Amino acid sequence: MNYCGTSYPRNDGFDKVTGRAGFTDDIYLPHMLYAKVLRSPYAHAKVLSIDTSAAEALPGVEAVCSFKNTPNKPFNTSATMITTNPGMEPVRDQTIFTDEPKYIGDEIAAVAAETEAIAEEAIKLIKVEYEVLPAVYDPKEALEPGAPIVQPKYQNPEHNNICGCIININLGDVEKGFAEADVIVEADIKLPRVKQVQLEPHGAVATYKNGELEILSTTQTPHPSKMIIAYALDMPESKVRVANPPYIGGGFGSRIGLSGKAELLAAVLAMKALKPVKLIYTRKEDTTCSDSRHGGYLHARMGAKKDGTLVALDTTSWLNTGAYCTFGVELVGVCGACGTAGTYRIPNLKYVGHPVYTNQQTAGAFRGFGTPQGNSIVEACIDKIAQALNRDPLDLRKQNTTKNGDRNWFPFELGSVGVDECLDKAAAEIGWAEKRGKKQEGNIRRGVGIACGTHVSNAAPFCVDYNTIQLQFEQDGSFFIRSGIPELGPGSTTAITQVACDLMGVPMETTKLVFGDTYATPFDIGSHATRTLYSVSQVLEKACKVLKKDVLSYAANFLGVDEAELTLDNAIVSGAGKEITMKKLCYEAHLRGKQFLCTECNVPTNSLPWYADAAEVEVDMEKGIVKVLKIAAAHDVGKCINPALCEGQIEGGALQGVGYATTEEMIYVEGKGFINDTYATYKIPRADDRPELKSIIVESNDPKGTFGVKGIGEVGICAIVPAILSAVEDATGVRFTEIPLTPERVLKGLKEAGKI
Amino acid sequence: MEILHITVNGKSMEKLVDPSLRLVDFLRRDLGLVGAKIGCGEGTCGTCTVIMNGRAIRSCVIPIMRAENAVIETIEGISKGERLHPLQEEFIKKGAVQCGFCTPGMIMSAKALLDKNNNPTPEEVRKALHGNLCRCTGYVKIEEAILAAAERLRNGEWE
Ligand code: FES
Ligand code: FES
Repeated sequence: MNYCGTSYPRNDGFDKVTGRAGFTDDIYLPHMLYAKVLRSPYAHAKVLSIDTSAAEALPGVEAVCSFKNTPNKPFNTSATMITTNPGMEPVRDQTIFTDEPKYIGDEIAAVAAETEAIAEEAIKLIKVEYEVLPAVYDPKEALEPGAPIVQPKYQNPEHNNICGCIININLGDVEKGFAEADVIVEADIKLPRVKQVQLEPHGAVATYKNGELEILSTTQTPHPSKMIIAYALDMPESKVRVANPPYIGGGFGSRIGLSGKAELLAAVLAMKALKPVKLIYTRKEDTTCSDSRHGGYLHARMGAKKDGTLVALDTTSWLNTGAYCTFGVELVGVCGACGTAGTYRIPNLKYVGHPVYTNQQTAGAFRGFGTPQGNSIVEACIDKIAQALNRDPLDLRKQNTTKNGDRNWFPFELGSVGVDECLDKAAAEIGWAEKRGKKQEGNIRRGVGIACGTHVSNAAPFCVDYNTIQLQFEQDGSFFIRSGIPELGPGSTTAITQVACDLMGVPMETTKLVFGDTYATPFDIGSHATRTLYSVSQVLEKACKVLKKDVLSYAANFLGVDEAELTLDNAIVSGAGKEITMKKLCYEAHLRGKQFLCTECNVPTNSLPWYADAAEVEVDMEKGIVKVLKIAAAHDVGKCINPALCEGQIEGGALQGVGYATTEEMIYVEGKGFINDTYATYKIPRADDRPELKSIIVESNDPKGTFGVKGIGEVGICAIVPAILSAVEDATGVRFTEIPLTPERVLKGLKEAGKI
Repeated sequence: MEILHITVNGKSMEKLVDPSLRLVDFLRRDLGLVGAKIGCGEGTCGTCTVIMNGRAIRSCVIPIMRAENAVIETIEGISKGERLHPLQEEFIKKGAVQCGFCTPGMIMSAKALLDKNNNPTPEEVRKALHGNLCRCTGYVKIEEAILAAAERLRNGEWE
């Protein structure tokens, strides 16, 4: 191995620091039109009439689309639309435009015009008459008898406002478990809806010509997006190109599938106008009209023996999935499966998850995908058990964590389990032994907390998940890779090239990876589920083996030696006292009508990444201000391919978690919708208010991962909230059951607990 | 339409512009300098940061005629041909770039700081980045990159 394990500089660095890197809004095409969208001002209403004639008559307007002149075939904007396992049907409950808006922001109509200003004006000229209908916003209220029904046609036939189905996980016998328990604790948590707010807003540029649709967009899954678009528009997938331009300004799950609906909205306008159409969501639209993280409620009971052995866990969740399903069902499943059932040995476990329709914007995938929600409640419970048994919470965790060789509910071998090492290293870094449990007086108090967990390294076998890859040597021996993954920001395309070059035995300098374009690459599910590096490495392993064999057997013939004696390293085939460069070999092959190439398809195995986050906080008891001083984040990544990129994932994920715990919350006002829809009002961490972030990489060398690798993308955020809540409890004696920890909330909690 | 006199990346020009444009639109559309990004369009994210008359400003909230006679520096203008500015090089080296959408703005804010003070404390660096949001990196490596670039500037590597 030459490249794996080194911080090889990322392949897009030069373009990104010089302003040359292409993003969707950077595309300007001849005759391109600009689009704007008319969105519902009501959380639930019926469109009685719509009159677009004045908009159409406005000079400069080239297309006006609404449910009246646009296909209304139901689909699902998320990748779940095409990744639902055989035997189950995805919930297809959305259309491009609607005549019955179900949340404030739902798409009613759209305009394409010569300038954004004209499009904006035209939108104002569309006259819509609405009949306002009753709406429901809270997931618990939505389940009550008599609550307004959000999706009468698509909801679960047996349960009002349940999207898909109620998720049930039952392992062992939970009642028997509680009967054996010496101590039983209960915990509740209320979690806010939070938003990815990746810096690049959703957007798409669509062109329609010769019966082909070409879309450049911000999607983090080009191939699934192609399938969704082709389905919704009844077009052959071969005539729909979805590509990134080639960069995407983050995503964090918000564009797994379509980018909001930008691709389809731009597409229908382009098909009507027969000119390219650009639609870039405003920051407000991005924030209030695309998938957020699920907020909601969780309740759990946990039982343990006197000696600390966990024996039972019973969890119920009510998560607000909003007006349309998107990822609602899968996510509520992952919350139970990874979040509550993943981390510890708990023989008797029950989880009931409610994905609930409400008249709010959709909630879908956001880094962690349900695991942070599940972790929050389980980690609260285990801290309570520690208190009840007067045990060190770190020690109690390690007593119960999954160990190497364990099997739990996951339908596969778990792979390497490095969670205890993560716990030890995070604890040591935060100064656990000296700092935890120090009684304090006075206004400013400090505390430390810890939490841990797991997730997955891709979506198989829970969803359709596979990769296809094409490899070829050019005639001069340089190496060419085609993969349908995008480059969302983590540097996946760099790390994957490192893996490919080490597997193949060729240099990075002469290797090119083409990505993010359905016309140029074979199918790949795309970047989500912490899968990109892990799963693409596996298909590469398979393909490089095949291609290498082809090269070596050709070379053996050419050199007149035994194939078994040859190796390929540093682009030189050698053995049996002979050698030939790939440059020469490929050219000689070319002269004889031969190119070395192969295409392989692979369903990845799955391995569990593990992590432990420790937090140190300072609480101002008078002002209620919680300041996170430090996060120590230890991650078992199996094998680290590129330390700088890997640390970047850990640090970025951790800071998003700090925002989740302390400042971020989408605030809903009835009649207005989510009101904090700008960076000024939706507060994410800034450079000058961030804590110290210490990333710690643990390598457990996973037996299934290529070179031992596991996933890292999502897991940075997964245990930050419970670590901070535990630290705040250590400082103040109060376990908060609602986040973010705003000063008002903290003061109220301290008062109620009689601490001030 | 009005006549605008402006110097962008060392080039003085006279342009007929639509006065309702913002500086960012002029740079991106009229000049094709798309390095300044529009993350919010309302002055709150910093992705559109360029240097105007020596100060880092949000080009999305500057009406174009306010840039009359201004001297503007954008991300496209800070390297010397293929030779990258130490800030650009250190951003790559230290892993300060992820999605890259905040990067041009970050670098321009950092450059405005280092142009005035090539020996900033970490606190001064953080303060200078207050208006530049990054959702990917956690800012750790961005700060490291800026401090490393400052050191190189102090060593006279960019003269
Ligand atoms: S685009 Fe100018 S500050 Fe956000
Ligand atoms: S690198 Fe993505 S926002 Fe900073």
